[in-house]
Amino acid sequence: MELKAANNGSYPRISDDDQRHRQAYAKLDSKEIAWDDFEKVQDEVTRDAIEEQAKAGLDIVTDGQIRWYDPVSHIARNLEGCEINGLLRFFDTNFYFRQPVIKGKISRRDSLAKEYRFASGVSSKPVKQVITGPYTEAKLSINNSKADFRALVDEFAKVIAQEVKDLAGAGAKFVQIDEPAILKKPADFAILEKAVKKISAAKGGIELSLCTYFGDAAPLYKKLVTLPVDTLSFDFTYSPSLPDLIAEKGCEKNLGLGIIDGRNTRLDDKDNVLAKIVKIMPAVEGETIYIMPSCGIGDYLPRGTAFKKLQIVAETTEKARQMK
Amino acid sequence: MSRSKLKKLGLNLPILPMTSVGSFPKPPYLLEARKKFAAKQMKHADLRELEIRATREWIRKQESLGIDVMVDGEMYRGDMVAYFAENWEGFKTSGLVRSYGNRYYRKPIIVGEVKAKGPLTVDWWKFVQSLTEMPLKGMVTGPYTMMDWLFNEYYPTRRDACLAMAKVIRGEVKSLVKAGAKIIQIDEPAISARPEELPEFAIEAMKDVTKGIDAYFITHICYGAFEFIYPEMLKLSVDNFDLEMSNSGLDLLKLFKKHPFTKDISFGVTDIHTHVIESNELVEQRIRSALEVLKPEQVWVDPDCGLKTRTTEEAIGKLKAISVAVKKIRRELEA
Ligand SMILES: [Zn+2]
Repeated sequence: MELKAANNGSYPRISDDDQRHRQAYAKLDSKEIAWDDFEKVQDEVTRDAIEEQAKAGLDIVTDGQIRWYDPVSHIARNLEGCEINGLLRFFDTNFYFRQPVIKGKISRRDSLAKEYRFASGVSSKPVKQVITGPYTEAKLSINNSKADFRALVDEFAKVIAQEVKDLAGAGAKFVQIDEPAILKKPADFAILEKAVKKISAAKGGIELSLCTYFGDAAPLYKKLVTLPVDTLSFDFTYSPSLPDLIAEKGCEKNLGLGIIDGRNTRLDDKDNVLAKIVKIMPAVEGETIYIMPSCGIGDYLPRGTAFKKLQIVAETTEKARQMK
Repeated sequence: MSRSKLKKLGLNLPILPMTSVGSFPKPPYLLEARKKFAAKQMKHADLRELEIRATREWIRKQESLGIDVMVDGEMYRGDMVAYFAENWEGFKTSGLVRSYGNRYYRKPIIVGEVKAKGPLTVDWWKFVQSLTEMPLKGMVTGPYTMMDWLFNEYYPTRRDACLAMAKVIRGEVKSLVKAGAKIIQIDEPAISARPEELPEFAIEAMKDVTKGIDAYFITHICYGAFEFIYPEMLKLSVDNFDLEMSNSGLDLLKLFKKHPFTKDISFGVTDIHTHVIESNELVEQRIRSALEVLKPEQVWVDPDCGLKTRTTEEAIGKLKAISVAVKKIRRELEA
């Protein structure tokens, strides 16, 4: 079994000293610059975000989701049959996303593989592509189509399965499907399961991960481990009982430990983090344990703090390796 | 049912009292002035003058619509959490954090013991109350929401931070009541953020704020996952729950049918997320739906949430629809 330091998802796009992205966005809004100019800035900022993650000591990075307006509408903007509506609070955070409105049958206009190709091209570390999952996309959308909720999840699953296939074609090794919404309604597990099966069938050589956050995964743990994915990732800040539960039940899959608090600026106590890792380590039969922030950190933390959090991820991973 | 409590406090409110949640849109001249002030191109005294003008306008407007319990409209403050954090001790400001799209803000961080420097909202409350004969709500942000919407680097746990907030907020509430406020609203939009924390400490924190204080307490809750906190939330030690009802198509009424709603309610009858001004008939219909499940003596009527994100015309339109509908149903109830 191997330990790796990984980012969960997003990384802050601006800091007090570096507001290129914000300024370019404002200029794009006021039509002072064209989309292509804005994309150049997004490329630069993405490259810097990737570099910072590597500098913090991570083994697996993401593109920081710099191009994502928010976790929900980024996927939906790319879809026929879908419009983007007003702002809604993203779970219990102070961050707002734009709500997709489903008008009819959905289909992709473009592929995330483009973003992946850019990121992997400029990164010295393997890049994990993050995608918000079909259940969460459907749950957070307004459904004005003829399809009922189940059918809508299926449609999103089809679209995301195509995405995963394209990513495999682009050489992606790690894809993480985010499904925070399932924790709010565990009774929908069968709907999620069907969608995950569809995506899993398209994964080719990809190590497919399912990630939940902003809720306690413990009540669903027994079911989640049956899903056809290679890796399960959890938010440990919401779940005091999860380390004991995993230690007791074991885990045949790789495990992502979202154990560094991605929502608070307080720097996590390393000994405390390490104790949790040590408790869980012997129970994991999968090949890899990923130490991660509890959620994407791009929309919740200032960039300086985000960097320090990733350093803690790397340092505790290293310490845990020595204790193995 | 707290009709008797209201009477004891000397408040003779009609059936179905009309009120608002808190914020109203700031008029263009005030928005302009706030920008100038932020850019240090305007003196605080000049800004204050315009805040007072806008507040007077909103008080007159509420009076002309026949609103029974006034709010000051929050012309003087931006964010409901940052306002208190900026004026109390124990905080510093964070680097930029994203709010949505290209919008960023600085979120206060608790870095030391939280303390008040003295009463914060009392002078303003006294001044605004002096503008009207109608009762004016005293407004504070609740301990749970303060804790949940701030970074906390000082208190060991969320519980500790929440209870520390409660202590300071209690001080502010006491000062408001001493100054003559009889109705105190404690905003807790975030109360359902982590439902397990409601019995663990959120209820305790609310008790710490209100216990033994002689006032009628309202708590405003919105964007909530009520199905996870109802009926447990009825244990919060307040008299009235001000709830966002219309945004969810009055779904909450189904919960009330299962478990009776035992307190007073400020029933949100206009959706603040939409630009559309509800027709008088729709508002009327929503009140009638409420009265199928709740007793008339329990029910107050207001918009779902603060109206600050709407235009002035939309806000007034929504209040007017409430006023027309309430007056009609009142006549029926009194007949
Ligand atoms: Zn509200």
